[in-house]
Amino acid sequence: AEAGMTSNTRKNVGPGEPVLATQKHHHRKAFEYISKALKIDEEDAGRKDQAIEMYKRGIAELEKGIALDVANGQGESWERARRLQEKMMTNMVMAQERLEILERALSGLVVGETVDIPDIILRGPSPS
Amino acid sequence: NSSTLTTPQNQVDSLMQEVADEAGLELNLDLPSAQSNTLGTSTATASSEQDELSQRLAKLRQM
Repeated sequence: AEAGMTSNTRKNVGPGEPVLATQKHHHRKAFEYISKALKIDEEDAGRKDQAIEMYKRGIAELEKGIALDVANGQGESWERARRLQEKMMTNMVMAQERLEILERALSGLVVGETVDIPDIILRGPSPS
Repeated sequence: NSSTLTTPQNQVDSLMQEVADEAGLELNLDLPSAQSNTLGTSTATASSEQDELSQRLAKLRQM
């Protein structure tokens, strides 16, 4: 179905395919988790602790997807896989940032209780 | 073959539609993402889904 522009680059069939399928699998899981996280997070009254949990799961799936080696494949489907990998990296960074903000906000809410929160989460990374 | 000439047009049409459906020629963009399975997801779809996440994450960052 994915007819390339040239028929010469025909290396996208073969042992590489399982990697691409695995990448899609992790994309799919990550998309489901982070979509759920966003849906909760976008509501003012959303349960932020639930959003945090979903972000964490989504980030874990993104990590697995990004860890796959798609650097050396030839052909259009591999190029797409590399672009997808870049987007997954972007979203992993953004989701992590959001996660840190939520965790910080949540730790602020429970300040009255005795909770052990590392300084790094409370204050954030010190500017260098 | 004379039988082809006597086949009603509407039967031909419905057969054509059937073949098109089977070949996935119809782009069904409204398909809910929850229903599309992993293998059915094209990389192009995956790519635009990641874009969607980026946009929504960026929006939250501005708040």
